[in-house]
Amino acid sequence: MIQAVMVMSTQGKPRLLKFYSYQPPEKHQDLVRGVFQLLSARPDSVSNFVKVDAIFGPGAKLVYKHLATLYFVFVFDSSENELAVLDLVQVFVETLDRCFKNVCELDIVFNFNKLHTILDEMILGGQVIETSSEQIMRSVEEIARLEKQSNTTSLIPKSISERFSR
Amino acid sequence: MALSGMRGLSVFISDIRNCHNKEQERLRVDKELGNIRTRFKNEKGLSPYEKKKYVWKMLYIYMLGYDVDFGHMETVSLISAPKYPEKQVGYIVTSCLLNENNDFLRMVINTVRNDIIGRNETYQCLALTMVGNIGGKEFSESLAPDVQKLLISSSCRPVVRKKAALCLLRLYRKNPDVVNIDGWSDRMAQLLDERDLGVLTSVMSLFVSLVSNNAEAYWNCLPKCVRILERMARNQDIPQEYTYYGIPSPWLQVLQRILMGTDVVKNVNKNNASHAVLFEALALVMHLDAEKEMMSQCVALLGKFIAVREPNIRYLGLENMSRMLLVTDVQDIIKRHQAQIITSLKDPDISIRRRALDLLYGMCDVTNAKEIVEELLQYLNTAEFAMREELSLKAAILAEKFAPDLSWYVDVILQLIDKAGDFVSDDIWYRVVQFVTNNEDLQPYAAAKAREYLDKPALHETMVKVSAYLLGEYGHLLARRPGCSPKELFAIINDKLPTVSYESYIDVEIQQRAVEYFELSRKGAALADVLAEMPKFPERESALLKKAEDAEVDTAEQSAIKLRSQQQTSSAIVVADQPPVNGSVPASNHLTLVKMPSQNITEESNVTYEEPPVEIPKENGAPVEVESKVENIPETNIESKVEPPAAHPASQADLLADLLGPLAIEGPPAAVEQNPVQGLETNQSPVGDLALATLEDQSNSVQIGLKAEWRAHHGRLVLFLGNKNTAPLLSVQALILPPSHLKTELSSVPDTVPPRAQVQIPLEVVNLRASRDVAVLDFSYTFGTSLVNVKLRLPVVLNKFLQPITLSPEEFFPQWKALNVQNLKVQEVVKGVKPLPLPEIASLFMSLHLAVAPGLDNNLNNLVACTTFFSETTRAMLCLVRIETDPQDRTQLRLTVASGDQYLTFELKEYIKEHLIDIPRVQAASPPVPVQPQLPPAAVPATYNDPGAMLAGLL
Repeated sequence: MIQAVMVMSTQGKPRLLKFYSYQPPEKHQDLVRGVFQLLSARPDSVSNFVKVDAIFGPGAKLVYKHLATLYFVFVFDSSENELAVLDLVQVFVETLDRCFKNVCELDIVFNFNKLHTILDEMILGGQVIETSSEQIMRSVEEIARLEKQSNTTSLIPKSISERFSR
Repeated sequence: MALSGMRGLSVFISDIRNCHNKEQERLRVDKELGNIRTRFKNEKGLSPYEKKKYVWKMLYIYMLGYDVDFGHMETVSLISAPKYPEKQVGYIVTSCLLNENNDFLRMVINTVRNDIIGRNETYQCLALTMVGNIGGKEFSESLAPDVQKLLISSSCRPVVRKKAALCLLRLYRKNPDVVNIDGWSDRMAQLLDERDLGVLTSVMSLFVSLVSNNAEAYWNCLPKCVRILERMARNQDIPQEYTYYGIPSPWLQVLQRILMGTDVVKNVNKNNASHAVLFEALALVMHLDAEKEMMSQCVALLGKFIAVREPNIRYLGLENMSRMLLVTDVQDIIKRHQAQIITSLKDPDISIRRRALDLLYGMCDVTNAKEIVEELLQYLNTAEFAMREELSLKAAILAEKFAPDLSWYVDVILQLIDKAGDFVSDDIWYRVVQFVTNNEDLQPYAAAKAREYLDKPALHETMVKVSAYLLGEYGHLLARRPGCSPKELFAIINDKLPTVSYESYIDVEIQQRAVEYFELSRKGAALADVLAEMPKFPERESALLKKAEDAEVDTAEQSAIKLRSQQQTSSAIVVADQPPVNGSVPASNHLTLVKMPSQNITEESNVTYEEPPVEIPKENGAPVEVESKVENIPETNIESKVEPPAAHPASQADLLADLLGPLAIEGPPAAVEQNPVQGLETNQSPVGDLALATLEDQSNSVQIGLKAEWRAHHGRLVLFLGNKNTAPLLSVQALILPPSHLKTELSSVPDTVPPRAQVQIPLEVVNLRASRDVAVLDFSYTFGTSLVNVKLRLPVVLNKFLQPITLSPEEFFPQWKALNVQNLKVQEVVKGVKPLPLPEIASLFMSLHLAVAPGLDNNLNNLVACTTFFSETTRAMLCLVRIETDPQDRTQLRLTVASGDQYLTFELKEYIKEHLIDIPRVQAASPPVPVQPQLPPAAVPATYNDPGAMLAGLL
């Protein structure tokens, strides 16, 4: 089971936090800090795997990808395969790339709400739900379409009605 | 951009980004939270768009680590919004912000259910996602059937069904009852026919979880799983699969194909998916415990993996090799890769280094220990801080477990201390000291090594400790070597002492000594005087030893004893060794108990320094047999443990026995009474107790001794069975007949006691509650042709579980008043008391472990005492005693006893009474009857009826 997905900057600032096994809110920043300290000490061109028993409890493992100024971190237990999760990170990144056309940190900073939407199409309750980037994109585009649709249909009458009510 | 943005949110995020420090950020966040709070308060003027925007801002603030303790209801209520955008935000933010126990979730449970059973697929997806992410018992109870329906519905699109599968999994984890096994195995089989990979992936996750709880029930799905796997594994055109976890048996064929089909070296470049499959396949091979040929194929494959350039593959190669260690028979094949694994210790990646260390640790055995441990030691020089502790611990464990010889072990540990002293725990160097102490051959070597290290300019504190210890104990073995005279050794250790920081030691006592010694060392010339040997005491001959000297010396026999005792192989400890010269060194190397330097001193003095009471050491070291005048002792001595020590002449012998240890054991009472040490009679609490019985006639003499140590409600006793004859005792049996208030555990008794040997039998006693009953030792043996059976009362009596305590008047009186309860405080006028002056009653109380508190009672004819009673039921319980005497009539007094337990009060009162009343003691007065081993055993049963009788077996 995947326990957490984190995206953080190479400065240690959280960009996306999603926990699939409950962690008390006051612990979140400690977890971010712990992971950041661990990762920032690792040089490039080493493996993508770290055991994180000390941070997330016994048996916890972590797979991460360091891309430009971001760390993409997936934390999971022994029932997952490291390489498979690494692929999943790749799928996540590829999907972001398609979604934002050459994704950069700023996209992620300002669209953290969209990251949640994308992640929900990929992982549900800590289990992988879809591994195909195309499939994920299809779902996300449908959501975008729905959003736009209801925005155009709902916002106009709303604003009119508001104007009238004043 | 695929998804629409929100200007307000972007502005806020960029404001946060523009903050230069944490303080600015906090101000901006507080301002925003205040704003949101006021806007939420007046919900009327809030457009759905604004609501959505504020909720996102809240989530952002929450992610930054600020406490967001409001707005939960507004968030949850968005779920009920009629339009998709608000609903979506409501669902997403709720699943991030709230946990399953949040009460607000109950508010929307109906909306969620309506979304799930409604026809709108997008709503279904949103609801399923949130329920799957949050879980929760209430969701589980009210939604599971609807989720199941979605999963098996043929009209639903895959995008809904895959979410339903995982949602159901989450609910199932929370509450397994939601899936009814009977119906589900068939449904699962159907679901496995699914062609959509997304659905299949989700269904497989659900399936794995169901199977791991009840594999039998889903056995019928097995062929389908195999078919799926075959489809995917053989036709590798499907990019990612997670569909093959943990499903048993007939996959072997498939696996072999995977193993052989994946050409490792070629595929190293980025082909994660196929490698992922391969590692799962390996896990399966291990799980199935396949035949050796396949296993060695796996190890060979892993061997290639750990040598490739790609770090991920190296990592997994090492990790999986560690797992392979659990498989029997492949260790040797793994060892072939040892050189490569050692190289991995130098990998730039700490993850890989850790795996390599784990693997080396796991694969180490006697054959490669030397090489591996030396590698670890070398690595210690360069290893980063984070790994050093683990590294030194592992090196120490391996060195101890697999040392080919002990001098190598000493070398390794000393090197460890030298290189990573901070990480060598005390346990490790204690262990070295222990080995060296127990192996004479090792001592000169260890001392010499320690001396070498002392030449180094900088030493770790632990190194100073261990070398000081080794040189202190075995420095004399080096005396002839250059630079190793006692004086030089002292000088060099003394030089290092300032580096040892005992002055900051946590134990105040040690700190105190440290400061004293340190001051002493600065005394300069005067130091020599202080340290000079103590002048000899003026000659004064001990009365006891004078007696002892009269006895014969039989050295030839002594060496025979030693020889025999060495051949003895009983589980109990046999100590018939020649006593040591000065009487304070451990008696023999048969002692199995090994002392650690840290163990506390009282224990040490009780156990290790125990000497066999068979012989009495003389000052010049020549052992002396004391066989004379034992006739009168047995009875009186044993009795004295049960009777009040001050009430009988024998008690003095007993007390002295306590004071002098084994020396006094066989001393005749006459000698004891003359001894000047008598003045120490009031000594409060002797460390151990001794009881002794000697059964003998002309040809048969057996000695039974006892040594005891008491801690709270526990007693640790050792019975000594000494055979003083020249023939063995056979069919030896010892049983404890415990009264109901004691739990006793007697170690096994050797069947035979060889001639002139002594056997020690440990006995554990636990006091369950207060009682005056006495435990009895039923002891029998065959000597020659006759059976001897004796019953001896053990001195496990009430006052052994008492610990005197001194109370101040402020403490005493409230307690005394609080216990004014019927049965808890009992008063009785005792008549027929031995007429004793008050000080003698006081010392009688002392001997009963009752602490007399002077000054608590103003009346000089009265006496107050306090003690603590220990038992398993009462734990530590305070007892208070008061005696009011009548100066006119000393044969009566009023006794008041109080405690928090009515049985304890009663028993203690009776116990004290027994000691105050003068009972004519026929038994003690009569001379003991010598053992008549010739008597037929039929005569013995008469005594069985009276277990309380002492030495009753002596018919």
